Amino acid sequence: MASNKKGEKIKEKSKRRPASQWAVAWRRFKRNKAGVFGLIIVMAVFFVGIFGSFFAPYPARPNKDAIKPFYKGDVRKPPSWLDPEEPNNFKYLFGTTPIGTDVFSDVIHGTKYTIYVGLLVTAITMALSIVVGAIAGFYGRWVDNLLMRISEVFLVFPALLFILVFVRIFTLTVGDPFLTIPIINIQIPAGLTIVVVILGLFNWASNARMIRGEFLRIRELEFIEAERALGASNTRIIFRHILPNLLSSIIVVSSLTIAYAILLEAAVSFLGFGDVNTITWGQILQENFSEMRIVWWAEIFPGLAILLTVFGFNLLGDGLSDALNPRLRD
Amino acid sequence: MTENILNIEGLKTYFFTEAGIVKAVDDISFNLKKNESLGLVGESGSGKTVTALSVLRIVPKPGKIIDGKVEFNGDDLLEKTEKEMQKMRGSEIAIIFQDPSSSLNPVYNVETQLRDVILAHQTVPKAETRKKVIELLEVVGIPEAETRMREYPHQFSGGMKQRVAIARALACEPTLLFADEPTTNLDVTIQAQVLNLLNDLKKKFNMSLVMITHDMGIIAEMTTRIVVLYAGRVCEIAKTHDLFERPRHPYTEALLAAVPRLDMKKTLRIIPGNIPNLIEPPSGCRFHPRCKHAKNTCKEKIPVLEEIEPEHFVACHEWQNISLKGERKH
Amino acid sequence: MAKHQLKGGKKTLTNSDLITVENLIKYFPVYSRGVLLKKQVGIVHAVDNISFNIKRKETFGLVGESGCGKTTTARVILNLIEPTSGEAFFEGENIFEKFQSSNKKEKLKLRREMQLIFQNPYGSLDPRMTVFDIISEPFVIHKHVPKSQWKEKVYELLELVGLEEYHAERYPHEFSGGQRQRICIARVLAVEPKFLIADEPVSSLDVSIRAQILNLLGELQERIGLTYLYISHDLSSVRQISHRVAVMYLGEIVELADTDELFKKPLQPYTKALIQAVPIPDPKAKTMKNVLSGEVPSPINPPSGCRFHPRCPIATEKCPKEKPKLINKGHAHYVACHYA
Repeated sequence: MASNKKGEKIKEKSKRRPASQWAVAWRRFKRNKAGVFGLIIVMAVFFVGIFGSFFAPYPARPNKDAIKPFYKGDVRKPPSWLDPEEPNNFKYLFGTTPIGTDVFSDVIHGTKYTIYVGLLVTAITMALSIVVGAIAGFYGRWVDNLLMRISEVFLVFPALLFILVFVRIFTLTVGDPFLTIPIINIQIPAGLTIVVVILGLFNWASNARMIRGEFLRIRELEFIEAERALGASNTRIIFRHILPNLLSSIIVVSSLTIAYAILLEAAVSFLGFGDVNTITWGQILQENFSEMRIVWWAEIFPGLAILLTVFGFNLLGDGLSDALNPRLRD
Repeated sequence: MTENILNIEGLKTYFFTEAGIVKAVDDISFNLKKNESLGLVGESGSGKTVTALSVLRIVPKPGKIIDGKVEFNGDDLLEKTEKEMQKMRGSEIAIIFQDPSSSLNPVYNVETQLRDVILAHQTVPKAETRKKVIELLEVVGIPEAETRMREYPHQFSGGMKQRVAIARALACEPTLLFADEPTTNLDVTIQAQVLNLLNDLKKKFNMSLVMITHDMGIIAEMTTRIVVLYAGRVCEIAKTHDLFERPRHPYTEALLAAVPRLDMKKTLRIIPGNIPNLIEPPSGCRFHPRCKHAKNTCKEKIPVLEEIEPEHFVACHEWQNISLKGERKH
Repeated sequence: MAKHQLKGGKKTLTNSDLITVENLIKYFPVYSRGVLLKKQVGIVHAVDNISFNIKRKETFGLVGESGCGKTTTARVILNLIEPTSGEAFFEGENIFEKFQSSNKKEKLKLRREMQLIFQNPYGSLDPRMTVFDIISEPFVIHKHVPKSQWKEKVYELLELVGLEEYHAERYPHEFSGGQRQRICIARVLAVEPKFLIADEPVSSLDVSIRAQILNLLGELQERIGLTYLYISHDLSSVRQISHRVAVMYLGEIVELADTDELFKKPLQPYTKALIQAVPIPDPKAKTMKNVLSGEVPSPINPPSGCRFHPRCPIATEKCPKEKPKLINKGHAHYVACHYA
């Protein structure tokens, strides 16, 4: 009788699915309105980035000088819905530029570069940060000291200045505007990739310090010592126990790094140091800056796109941080 | 009833968390006589600390006092304005917390912290505050008070920090002092020092003391009357001697049998089960799932606190049918 | 190296001893932060020349206040931190030599024999793993149980520590402190150890839960024949569970005796003061009468001679000059005091 009862109890209890930490975090995230809003913006940006070329009114264009023969006559047109002379409200949603390109199409085609920049810079940054942070955090002693001093050097440098110098030096060496990666046959913008790599190389320091700190904190937790007492090897402890517990922090920081990377690339392009062959949002701003008083729409709309995207990633990052590290939140 | 300095009736303090409403204090009533040492005993989640915070009206968010009366010298504290309460705190009612290192502000030296409390409630010329600070530190047994008052909290050991915290609580000679687990973080020999100090100061300043703790030893040592709390409700109120000699509530009795004693070896009796979740507390008597005497009525009806003999109150449906004799046989 | 410490370990080394510790020393260097390199500015004398032995199926209590070196002793015996000097033996085999040798198999074998239970059951479980993964982790590391039997074995362990099978698929955050401590014990038992160090296993638990865990430890000792080193600052629980007790003060053992003997007839003034300082849960018992004044000095510059002398009520001129030896006063009651 007793065992029967126990069996029933087990059955009844096991029906309730156990909530993993991720499920709990997702539930918490869903309740955060700002975070969900950020996620929607980010998803929209990805959608436009991936499928934009299918619904953009005009095809992607090469650089400023190569474009001149196209769109003759329709230069400096304001957004059609503001233009009383234009019967079709949707002809040029964001207006046209002094050289006659459609700003709306440019912004849509620029989205994929924005994503490319955000993801690749973050990938490079985070890879470097994790490696440096983990090495410093795990080995400690002089290795830690040395790596942290190096990171401080990177932190005190006026990074933007160095980035501009390096970008200028390296982009000058580029021949073909597009590189084709052999085997998988994908074209990548050569100049932009150089910008991305340099941005990635200059951004790791603060993230690496954060990861080192987290690493040290987790390394001192008792369950790590318990693993050691059980006889687990160092590699097992790092990869199976410390890094998975770092994951939530890495996700949060990555999201914020994407936002920062997008902003930084826009700044570099706007200052005229970017890759002229890829029309990123920053590039649009730069091209039309001289005639800003007339074609204000060619500045406002790409600017808004940058603002909204960065805002979205920041909201997402904050939401994730609240959901994944609830103890920071009171 | 005029001799009661504190009279708590039907106090309810709930915490409105994301997961649900935590009924931390759910209908607690007891009183405190002038110059009495009252013990509030309970385990984590019993509501002992929240009761103290409710009296001072410093319940942290998302907590809220829902209902009840807290009469201090005949005035209901829950009806006072926030400004009036601010005047009471520190000057009339004071509290010492468990962790002195986080209850003292690390950026100010000891003199400043004590002076601020004095000046908040009294107008004293500056020269005199210094004298008073030195006096206070001497009273709580800090040697070389004149030099040590210029030091910062981190320069004091745990026991000394707690002494400073006590000095701060006594700065305005309150008539009612709450001590919330004041020695839990201290070593045994230091704990004895601090407890003796509290006893001396209580006499010296003519204070009423509410000692909040989970340690049955400290309670036996320090108090004359005890309120036993379980899961936000009062189980039993009795004079210390009676409670230890003739515990009438099954929880009190089980708790005493579960605590090891230094002066003898005994068989520890187990209280089965775990401390209940206060979002969905057990129906009826909250102790019934762990009580070996529980009957059906215990599940259905909330027991009321009744006076079974002079000054001995018990909230249990079954107290008359339980023979507890022999439990305290040595 | 000082030779005046208890040599009882070796002399009484018979088959009944599971663990022998001899002249164990652990110093921690203290550094100040430099730009690139740190500068050593002092030494913490965490454990200073202690010796003791633990018999088979015995519970050996180690008590002392914070900073007396009891936890360091445990970590050193398990080789979680390296000793400065001294020896420790498990069944006559030199623990430190084995861990320093490069033989991985031997190291793992020794790891299986000795295990540790922590104070904080909240921090000692990986929050991202299910209870099943946590308890089967030792099987992954030691490969002593074939994968087909994991489930059966985990359920068996859960039952042994008083948990249910359905708990296996849950995560640690769903459990209360007492239950987590049970999970910790199950994980430790998964390697089938002979020797278990329990470092304040009940300090962070609620009073009504402590008895559950203390009794569980007692039951497991009877059922599996475990040997314990029970470390705590709580004298009452030490008295409850231990067969023999050693009292530590500032890195040294000052008294060592059978539990009843030690608590009824303490000889060292520090032990006496410690016992008197504990409030007893009985209003009729008279305690806290002779309260020790002062505080534990820093282990960076411990007092000379007998380390307890600055606080000792019976200290004389001799005490700061000469370090008392740990001497057998009969009935295997060892005391380090000139006047005991």
